[in-house]
Amino acid sequence: MKYLSEKIMKKITWLTSICTVLIFNQLIGQQNVLIEAESFIDKGGWVVDQQFVEQMGSSYIMAHGMGVPVSNASTQITFNNKGNYHVWARTKNWVPGNWDAPGQFKILINGKPLKHNLGLTPEWGWEYAGKVKIKSSHVDIQLADLTGFNGRCDAIYFSKSKTPPTNSKSELATWRKTKLGEATSPETQKTYDLVITGGGLAGCAAAIASAEQGLKVALIHDRPVLGGNASEEIRVHTLGIYGKYERILKMIDTKHYPNGSSEAKYDQEKRDRNVKSFKNIDLFLNWRAYDAVSENNTIQYVDARHTSTGERIRFTAPRFVDSTGDGWIGFWAGAEFSYGRESADTYGEAWEEWGELWSPEEADNFVMGSSVLWQNEKTEDVHEFPQLPWAIDVAKEHKAIAGEWYWEFTRNDLHQIHDAEDIRDHMLRAIFGSFANAKKLEENKNYKLQWVSYLVGKRESRRLIGDHVYTFNDVKNHTKFEDAVVEEIREVDVHYQKHLKDEAIPDFLSKAIYYQTEKYYVPYRSLYSKNINNLFMAGRNFSCSHIGLGGPRVMLTTGQMGAAVGLAAVICKKYDINPRAVYTKHLQEYLDLIEKQK
Amino acid sequence: MAMGFQEQKKPDYRPMFFSMADEWKDIESDESIFEFSVKSSDTSLTTEIEHQVRLLSNSLGEPRLFFSEIETSVCADGECKLANIKVYWNLLGNYVGYGTYDKYPLTKFEHDPFEKADYQKLHKLLLDDNSVLKRRKMSDLIDKIPVSLSNINSKDLDGISGATKKEIKESVVKGGLYSCYTIWHLVHGDAKKKIRKNLETIGADDLKEYFLYSLYKDYQIYGLKQLSQADFRVHSKQIVSIFKSTNALTRTYILKKLPTDLYSEKEITNQLYTMFPGVDLNSKTLLINKLEFAAPDAIEILAGFLDNMTKNQLKHYLKYLEENTLRITNTMKRNLRKVSKDKNYAHSYLIDAFLKTNK
Repeated sequence: MKYLSEKIMKKITWLTSICTVLIFNQLIGQQNVLIEAESFIDKGGWVVDQQFVEQMGSSYIMAHGMGVPVSNASTQITFNNKGNYHVWARTKNWVPGNWDAPGQFKILINGKPLKHNLGLTPEWGWEYAGKVKIKSSHVDIQLADLTGFNGRCDAIYFSKSKTPPTNSKSELATWRKTKLGEATSPETQKTYDLVITGGGLAGCAAAIASAEQGLKVALIHDRPVLGGNASEEIRVHTLGIYGKYERILKMIDTKHYPNGSSEAKYDQEKRDRNVKSFKNIDLFLNWRAYDAVSENNTIQYVDARHTSTGERIRFTAPRFVDSTGDGWIGFWAGAEFSYGRESADTYGEAWEEWGELWSPEEADNFVMGSSVLWQNEKTEDVHEFPQLPWAIDVAKEHKAIAGEWYWEFTRNDLHQIHDAEDIRDHMLRAIFGSFANAKKLEENKNYKLQWVSYLVGKRESRRLIGDHVYTFNDVKNHTKFEDAVVEEIREVDVHYQKHLKDEAIPDFLSKAIYYQTEKYYVPYRSLYSKNINNLFMAGRNFSCSHIGLGGPRVMLTTGQMGAAVGLAAVICKKYDINPRAVYTKHLQEYLDLIEKQK
Repeated sequence: MAMGFQEQKKPDYRPMFFSMADEWKDIESDESIFEFSVKSSDTSLTTEIEHQVRLLSNSLGEPRLFFSEIETSVCADGECKLANIKVYWNLLGNYVGYGTYDKYPLTKFEHDPFEKADYQKLHKLLLDDNSVLKRRKMSDLIDKIPVSLSNINSKDLDGISGATKKEIKESVVKGGLYSCYTIWHLVHGDAKKKIRKNLETIGADDLKEYFLYSLYKDYQIYGLKQLSQADFRVHSKQIVSIFKSTNALTRTYILKKLPTDLYSEKEITNQLYTMFPGVDLNSKTLLINKLEFAAPDAIEILAGFLDNMTKNQLKHYLKYLEENTLRITNTMKRNLRKVSKDKNYAHSYLIDAFLKTNK
C-alpha cells in the first residue's frame, strides 16, 4: 500500500511551511510575500476548492458554511524583515449586485483584523485588506468568515510597496511562479506502467483492473476521497449494470440510496479502503493534473500539483488514462475532441417525438447540465434561515427543502468547463434561495440545511474522439461490436431544462427524456484516442456523440469502461504496443482476459 | 372502415376540459380513421380492447381534432370497474382534452367518484406528455407510493426513487392512481403514434399554413419545421409574430433557422432585436451571437438593453464592439456610460472596464 496517508500529508504540510519560510527569507529582500490560502496549515471550517484552477489560476479556500460563518483558517509565517506592509487578498464577490456581497471575510494578523472587509469585487482579483506593522518574526495569519455564504480566498500578498499585484490573467501565472520561486518543471518525477488521471468510478476501476494484473499504477485524483460523482462529496448513486466486471465494480459502487443521501459515506469508506489495499496502486489524493505534453502524438508526461501544498510531480509512463471527466489530459495533449450537441443529421440521431429537445436540426452547445445536490435535517428545534436578496433572482418563488438529480443547470451562454464556477454558484443561489423561500412556511420551521455540496456534479463536457464515435444508432441497433467490452441495459436518458417549454419554471430544473432499450454495447474503439497514440479514455469523456452519451454516462457503465481500459493496458504492456494494436492484433486475447474477470 | 357523420347520431362533443380554443364546437364531419388496441388491465381477461379513433372536421371540411369514446377497465387489487371517457387529440396526436358521461363518473380507490378537483388534476396529468408515469409499469407503482407527502423527507426516502415517488404523488389524483395510470397510457400510447402516422393521409401538406398560423405552440414549431428556406421569407411576418409570443424552444429554433439574407434585412432585424428585453436568456444569447448576420441597427438597439444581458452575453457583445469600434455611435456611448454606473446591474464593471480601454 503506497498512498499519501494523513501522517505523510501532515509531514508535507509541515515541510511546505518550512519551504514557504525559506521562500520568504529569499523574498524579504524584495519586501513582499505571497501566501497561497490553500496552503494554510489549519483550514478551520474553510474548504479547499480546486475545481476551477484552469479558469481562475489556482486552488482556493472557501467558507462554505451554509449560512453559518465557519471557523477561522490560520497559518503561521516567519518574517525576517519587520516593518509596515500593505496586504491584499485575491478574492471575488461571487454574486455582484445591489446588495451586501454574500461571501465576506477579514484577514487577522496576530489576532487583529485588517481594516477592510474582503469578497466585495466582481471577478477574481486583488482586494486591498489594509496596512499592518509587523513587529515580530512570528506572524499568525487568520481568515475570519463573516457571512457563512461562500466567501473565497485564493492568496494573500504582503508588500512594502503600495502597488497592488497584477490582475491580468496572462501575467498572473508567471507572477505567481516568480513570487513562489517555482522552477519550470516539477521537482519530482515518478514513472509507472500506467498513469490514470481522475479517480471517479472509471479511474478507480481502471486502476484496480490493471493493478490486479501486475501493472504499477498511479491514480491521480484532485479530491481527498475517491468516486467523483459517486463520492460522499457529490452523492450521486451508481446506476447501470456491472457487465463483465461485477467483482471489480462492487469494490467501488454505491447502494441505491437517494441522491444526496448521507449514506454515501459508507460506500465511500468501502471504496477508499479497497483501492488503497492494492500495493501497486500509488494513490495521489488531492493532486490535480495541470498539464500533459505529447511529442509525435505520444504523451510524454502528465504534471500534477498538490491542491494544498502546491508541490508538483511529473508522471511518466508508456500509457495514460484520461478519466478526468472533462477530458483534460487529452485536451492538453492535443487529442481531438468534441463538445456540444451535434445536428440531428450528423449521425442520424433524430427522434421526431422530441425534436429539438433531443437532437437539434443545427448543432449547438446546449449540453446537459451540472447538478449540485443538497439535503436537509429535521430537528426538534426551530431554525432560522435568512432571506437572501442575492439569491432571489435565481430561486424566484421556488420553495424546496432538498434537492435531487433534476436540480440541474445549463444555458447556451455557459460552458460546462469554462463557466463551471458560475454554474456552481448559480446552483448555490438556487439552493439557498429556494430553502429561504421554504423556510417562510410554518411547516418548515424545524428544518435546517444538513449538507450542500460545493462540487459541480457534471453530466457532460468534452468528449475525446476515438476510432469509433458511439452514437444513438449503436443503442437502437444493439450493435454487437466484435470489440464490445462494455454492455448496458439502462435506458438512454437525455435531459432538457424545463423552462425551455415553460418560462414560468425556474431555470435550474430539468426533465429527462427516456428511450427504453434492450441491451447495447460500447466498443473498445471508443475508449482510446484517435490521434494520441498512448491515450485511453474512460468515463463521460469517452468517444461518443451527445446523444450517444445519454445511455452509458452513468457510473457503473463508466466503471465498466475503466475496467476495460485497465485490462487493455495489461495487453499493451505485455506486447509493448499502443491501445489501437490491442484491437487490431490482440483482440481475442483481450476479450479472453475480460471474460476471466467475472 | 370509414363511417360518415350522416350515418350516425351526432355525439355530444362537449369536453369537460379542453386546452385549445373551441374547435370542438364546429364539427360537421366525424369519420372513423383507425382503431387501436389496448391490453385489458383486467387480469381475468386476456383480450385486447379495440378503440376507435375518429377524425373530426369543421363545416369547411377541415380536419380539426381526433376523438375517441373509450370504455376501459380500471383494475385495483383484482377488482375492476369500467371507466368511460371521451378523449381529444389535436392533429399532431397531442392530448388536448377529455370529457365524461354524466352516468359514468370516474372513480377512485374503493370506487368513490372523482371530485371536481380530481378531474382538473387528471387533465393536468394528461397534458404532460413526459409524465413520470410514462416509463413505469403499474406493478412498479403498487405499494410504493407514500401515503402522504409529509412522509417524504430526507430520512425516510427508501431508495429506489424518492424523487420519482414524490413526483407521482404530486401528479396523480389521490386514491385514483389506477384510473390515472390507465387513462394516461391510453391517451399517450398507440393512438398518439397512429395519429402522427396518419397526418400525411389527412392532407398534412394542405394544413402546413394552418399549423404555422395557429395559436398553438406545438402546431407552430411543427409548421416551422416544414418550411423551406424560401418559405421563411413568404411567412416572415408570422414567424416574427411567433417569435414574440412563443417559448424558448421555438424562439431558439427560429433564430437558428432564419436564412441569413432574411435575418439581415433591416425590418426583420429591428423587430427581432427590439424584442430583446422580453425574450428568454437562451434566445438573447443567439441574438448576440448572430450580430454579424443582422442589419447594422442591431448593435445600437442592443446598446439600449445592456442591463438585460448575462455576464457572458455582455462580454460577447463588448467583444463585438471592440472588433467594430467604427460602428459605435454617440448614442451607444451614452448608453454604455450610463449602464457602467448602474449599481443595479451586476455586470456594469465590465462596461466600465471596456470604456477605460476603449476611450
